[in-house]
Amino acid sequence: MKYLFEKFGKINTSVLFLCIIFLILELIGHRYGETSIEDILFFPAFFGYLSCIIIFKLGVSLRSFLMKDEDYYDK
Amino acid sequence: MISNFPPGLIMIIGALLIPFLPHIIRQIYMMVLILVSAYALTLGLGIHSKIEIMDIQFIIFQSDALTLPFAIIFHIAAILNVIYGAHEKHWNQHVAIMSYSGAAIAAVHAGDLLTLFVWWEATAFTSVFLILASKTQRSYKSAFRYILIQVGSGMFLLAGAILLMSKTGNAEFKNFDINSLYGQLIFIAFGIKAAFPLLNGWLQDSYPEASEIGTVALSTFTTKLAIFCFAKSFAGTEILIIIGAIMTFYPIFFAVIENDLRRVLTYSLNNQLGFMIVAIGIGTELAINGAVAHAFAHILYKGLLFMGMGAVLYRVGTCKASELGGLFKFMPITAICTIIGAISISAFPLFSGFVAKSLIMSALGKEGLIFVYFMLLFASAGVLHHSGIKIPFFAFFAHESGIKTKEAPLNMIIAMIIASALCILIGVFPTYFYEILPHQIQYQPYDFSHVVGQLQLLTFAAFAFICLWHFKIYPPELNSTVLNSDWIYRKMIPGILLPLLRLISDINKKTEQFIVFTFTSIKRFFSDTMIKNKVFDREVGQDTLIVVQLFIILLIFIFVWKIYL
Repeated sequence: MKYLFEKFGKINTSVLFLCIIFLILELIGHRYGETSIEDILFFPAFFGYLSCIIIFKLGVSLRSFLMKDEDYYDK
Repeated sequence: MISNFPPGLIMIIGALLIPFLPHIIRQIYMMVLILVSAYALTLGLGIHSKIEIMDIQFIIFQSDALTLPFAIIFHIAAILNVIYGAHEKHWNQHVAIMSYSGAAIAAVHAGDLLTLFVWWEATAFTSVFLILASKTQRSYKSAFRYILIQVGSGMFLLAGAILLMSKTGNAEFKNFDINSLYGQLIFIAFGIKAAFPLLNGWLQDSYPEASEIGTVALSTFTTKLAIFCFAKSFAGTEILIIIGAIMTFYPIFFAVIENDLRRVLTYSLNNQLGFMIVAIGIGTELAINGAVAHAFAHILYKGLLFMGMGAVLYRVGTCKASELGGLFKFMPITAICTIIGAISISAFPLFSGFVAKSLIMSALGKEGLIFVYFMLLFASAGVLHHSGIKIPFFAFFAHESGIKTKEAPLNMIIAMIIASALCILIGVFPTYFYEILPHQIQYQPYDFSHVVGQLQLLTFAAFAFICLWHFKIYPPELNSTVLNSDWIYRKMIPGILLPLLRLISDINKKTEQFIVFTFTSIKRFFSDTMIKNKVFDREVGQDTLIVVQLFIILLIFIFVWKIYL
């Protein structure tokens, strides 16, 4: 545990523990979604994680043609 | 008498006195103006004031179930703006904020489109001074583009109103048919102010150029006025679902790569407007409540985030993620308030965003709009990424920027604490919040599924960001300009139009030279010939003139004869 705190940081480890707690909560109670797909076990967790990665990947790939010099409009 | 005065109008008239008051009295005076304006809300629902000018009836004060929540939040926001801007000694921004808030409040009480048009344009002309207040070359140019677009939106509204009047004899502000021409014109007018896709450039262009006080006020009124108008006139219009879904989706990618944190917030604003537009497009009672609740909550948490970034800008002089970092130890209260705003916008349970967004998501689920539902769910993860994490993280934590500063002024802190408290109160006591919404429906946001599902979504999205940052996959923020739809009229159109105009000008100049040369040659030829042959000698000249005159008279006579007889 101490190793994890040191290597991964206190806040990061705390978020990791929160993630685990919320997964366990789903196992204790019965969670259902607005749609039937969401009823799959841990669906929101997977969806949240993947969405964030996709947003990041797509966002970074857009850099090459959307990102210009700071004075682009002043030239 | 005063209660029949349209809310907001007293603020506009009262703003004229602001320049003549000393600083402290000015602050109290502005508070009193807002409270007097709010007093008119106690009149209840119905039409309260009409005036007639040139046989046209203007309903200047009417109130209904939709008006009330917007009027309440606009008044609260106006008070927060006054507190937040209290450190500013010069009167110009105070006059602008007071009259801008007043115009927006008066607009939501308009009962006809012509009255709405007056206030619609008034919001444009008063708010532009908040952009000009930055006093930079960039802000002057941006303000010019802003006012052109805002006034343009007003022209669409006026055209729609006149067409409607010619068809129905009045321009009542009600539900409109999107299939009619006047409906389409009004739709475009509202769409420009609601920052629809490709019409959104002005938002990201102008808001981050405004002063630190100005951006907070700007984020409150203009776009939310458009949301109110859509909810009133186009509820249940299906195309809004598609437009809104696109609005929630694409700004998140722009926000990821944007470096200016206030500009990141404008992308976030665009994304949040998308949620409201989707809800209006669904049009059910639950969805309309969701749109209004979201607008209400959004004004508070987005205002709070802009306040936090405004405080950073005020103290540090920049809002660029690449230049900020490690400010938590210098500005802890600002940081905590910004984090509360970030948690609220991310829709964590017990915060305002959760109780508002849940209504929209449930409405989508109930209508079976699965694809749009998942688009919005995806966008929710995006909101956490750019507003929930990026804003507070890059400003107050991330790396050590070496900047040493001090906490925001007291008035800013007070405004931020009040806004934070409201974000939490709405989240903790949603029942009271739901009571002011247009439709009285039973809804419980805090059930096991909602809460656990949302917590899983958000914590895992946050964990993904942590992994990207910790393992150094997340690239550093760079000083840059991110291209947006304003590129069309800032670069593309001038890029095509200027060479075209230059070509036309060249052709014009060459044609002119050719004509001048030809006429000069002809003139020279005739004059040489005539002078040589003494045609202009006195005797010959007079005879020639008489013959020519007679010939012209004859021609005119024949012409008139042929036409009239």
